[in-house]
Amino acid sequence: MATTDESTGSWFGADGQVSQVRGLLFKLSCLGATLLALGLVLVFLLYVFNDAVQPLTADTGWLLTFVVTLVLPAVAVGVYYYTRDTRAGEVAYTALGLPVATTLLAGGVVITFEHIVSPHAWFALALSATVAFGLVELHARTRTAGALERLAVVVLVPLLALVGVPGIAVDFPVETPLLGQELFRLSFAIPELVPSLREVILALPVLPTAAISLLLTFTLPIAAAAAWHVRRVRESDRDGAIAGGATIVAAGLGLVAAPLVDLSATTWVVLATVVALPVGLYVESVVRRDVGVSGLAFPVVVAAGALIGAFLVDALGFAGPDLWLDWDFLTSPASTTPRDAGIYPALVGSVMMLVVVAVAAFPVGVGAAVYLEEYAPNDGLLGSIVDLIEINIANLAGVPSVVYGVLGLTLFVRTAGMQSGIVMVGGLTIGLLILPIVIVSAQEAIRGVPDSLRQASYGMGATKWQTVRNVVLPRALPGIMTGTILAFGRAIGETAPLLMIGAAAVVRIPPDTFFSLFSAMPRQIFAWSKEIETEFRYGVLAAGVVTLLIVMLMMNASAILVRNKYQRQN
Amino acid sequence: MTRDTPLETDGGDPRADGSGTAVADSAAQTDSSDESLLDSSFDVEDRSHASEDTDAIVEARDIDVYYGDEQALQSVDVAIPEKRVTAMIGPSGCGKSTFLRSINRMNDLIDAARVEGELLFDGKNVYDDDVDPVALRRKIGMVFQSPNPFPKSIYDNVAYGLEVQGKTDDVDEKVHRALERAALLDEVEDQLDESGLELSGGQQQRLCIARAIAPDPEVLLMDEPASALDPVATSKVEDLIEELAEDYTVVIVTHNMQQAARISDKTAVFLTGGELVEFDDTAKIFENPESQRVEDYITGKFG
Repeated sequence: MATTDESTGSWFGADGQVSQVRGLLFKLSCLGATLLALGLVLVFLLYVFNDAVQPLTADTGWLLTFVVTLVLPAVAVGVYYYTRDTRAGEVAYTALGLPVATTLLAGGVVITFEHIVSPHAWFALALSATVAFGLVELHARTRTAGALERLAVVVLVPLLALVGVPGIAVDFPVETPLLGQELFRLSFAIPELVPSLREVILALPVLPTAAISLLLTFTLPIAAAAAWHVRRVRESDRDGAIAGGATIVAAGLGLVAAPLVDLSATTWVVLATVVALPVGLYVESVVRRDVGVSGLAFPVVVAAGALIGAFLVDALGFAGPDLWLDWDFLTSPASTTPRDAGIYPALVGSVMMLVVVAVAAFPVGVGAAVYLEEYAPNDGLLGSIVDLIEINIANLAGVPSVVYGVLGLTLFVRTAGMQSGIVMVGGLTIGLLILPIVIVSAQEAIRGVPDSLRQASYGMGATKWQTVRNVVLPRALPGIMTGTILAFGRAIGETAPLLMIGAAAVVRIPPDTFFSLFSAMPRQIFAWSKEIETEFRYGVLAAGVVTLLIVMLMMNASAILVRNKYQRQN
Repeated sequence: MTRDTPLETDGGDPRADGSGTAVADSAAQTDSSDESLLDSSFDVEDRSHASEDTDAIVEARDIDVYYGDEQALQSVDVAIPEKRVTAMIGPSGCGKSTFLRSINRMNDLIDAARVEGELLFDGKNVYDDDVDPVALRRKIGMVFQSPNPFPKSIYDNVAYGLEVQGKTDDVDEKVHRALERAALLDEVEDQLDESGLELSGGQQQRLCIARAIAPDPEVLLMDEPASALDPVATSKVEDLIEELAEDYTVVIVTHNMQQAARISDKTAVFLTGGELVEFDDTAKIFENPESQRVEDYITGKFG
């Protein structure tokens, strides 16, 4: 091979022939930019977190106690995982994160059943939807009739089950555009002809209690899904039945046991379904794979440490930190005294607003994206128009949010005549704001479906509709979901449009319908920032910011989970 | 139908690793670099029925295809006999895939493509205004160059054509029969619920063939079905094509002249410019072609 004679000593660049200086400088300045950006964000987050929790206000003894009971054991176990058993470390990571994440999710579900759909309304909705689905399925099985009849059944049966034939009352003056002179008045009313199945169920004289309703229509389907999953992975009917049965028993136990631990029965049912079941399934999967089982000890160590620490500081009389972000903050309404102030109505308002955003923006955005990608003409004059539209959708994504606020005010309040400051107006306005983002990300997801799959489908004699429904949408859905959830993460933090449409600064009771006045978390934070008392501007505001960030991070995390899950499958 | 020589040629290939995984290099490259194969005479199999022509099921009359201003096919006339294997060979960009895709009107999906002339299927011009390309494609199945199973289970992949065509009776049986005909059933019988993407490249291509024959089309178009496969998988697919010719009319585009010689009854040679130079019995094309250009191409002097 090559020799390293003195005579060839110059070619390999030891004498600095090849200049590395500029490259090195460039690399260092890029590193500097990265550190600056990350550092600023990190410092800000630590600053806010410090204000919200104030860890240094605790007694030294309190801090020491928790260091000894909680931090040291957790670190020791963590070091063990890191050095000896990395697989167990991964398990430990998930085993701790899963209960925390599902508990936060359960909080959202409890709020949903508390304020958005009552358990009874949900019961009626789920039952009538099931009946409608059963009828449609029955029709498909018994009558392999023409497409038109199928379509009629598919549209009409769910409609009758869920909506019925509603009464309509119209009283609308038709005016000349500028002068406002009334030409004639469109006015008619028909009574409700057929009540929906949902309304019939709700009007029944005897309904199951709230907890039993949830048990039947919330826990039961989820338990069935879990049973199906367990049956498949363990290849045993018996194990599947056990999993499903155990879930229902665990949730049903709440009917009796919930008062003993000072929980409402519905909360118990939700906790059993949303927290205990996923944790149980996860433990089962770890034990079944028999990889990193020792990682399951980590959450136990953490929980035991926290409990022992809490018991010790109580017994020894050490005072904890002066928390702003505590349980009371999350569950109390706004108040004029900083210590009593809470974010609960704004939290509920944000969640309800997000429901409106999701219902409004998701179907419209995905529909537009499907049309633009799959159906819109590509060439000729129409093609150029479509190109122009697509460019402008991307531009719309960059329009300042305050402009959308003005648009929402004009469109929904001034033109459509809705009351300003209600959940519906806020949700629709912010839905408009994120619509371009949803469209663009859904377009990208649809574009990512390989053309060879479309070709395969067309080659099989599938129509365009069959191809879009069976091949393109299922394949694009994870991407669409990821993009949409990220857009929702932006929606929940928007403030300017809420100011424009007149969302209230302070609301003391959570909105109970979508047409109630509401406040949202960012709006509430903005209001606190203008309070005179410094405790509002530092402590309460910081707690609000941390709450908002946690909700947003959860949404982003779920987007990442969806993406990872489907990436692995494809 | 028995065939010995070609299979042994393939099976004896030292590259055969038996795993059935896809290899990236195309069969065409292997051929053009392998002089000894090209110089020797071709194994044109003596297929008993090859000489007796059946009625034409697909007939092209003066077909021109344009992509925008570019002409991809120039007045092609071909009569493809029923229940035979017809091979289309020729250098890259000569229009053979374009011709294949104009049979089931897949070119309709390309906005810039335009087809002129008559293409008769069962005596009906498929480019008539009253022909629905979707209905046409239900009669003419297609297998593509690289395996493209749907990200669904193996079962759902095969049942897809039945589902979209509304043939919902006896789906189970038809899926099993299609997998059996595609020589895949034994390998996947226990994993019908698993994703079709988990199969090896050769298995995926046979899955695509099973998917194409499940709704029982009349014609099967294959666009270089073995070019992304290794020699072992290729020989399995070739076996399969010959068996399928008992019930289906198979039109296959290939870069691999040995393959065309081994499996086809009729061969059409396209040369640069989208021109069909010669169309005749495979034996004649490979042993005694009329055109000097075809002979040059086949012996590797050109192309």
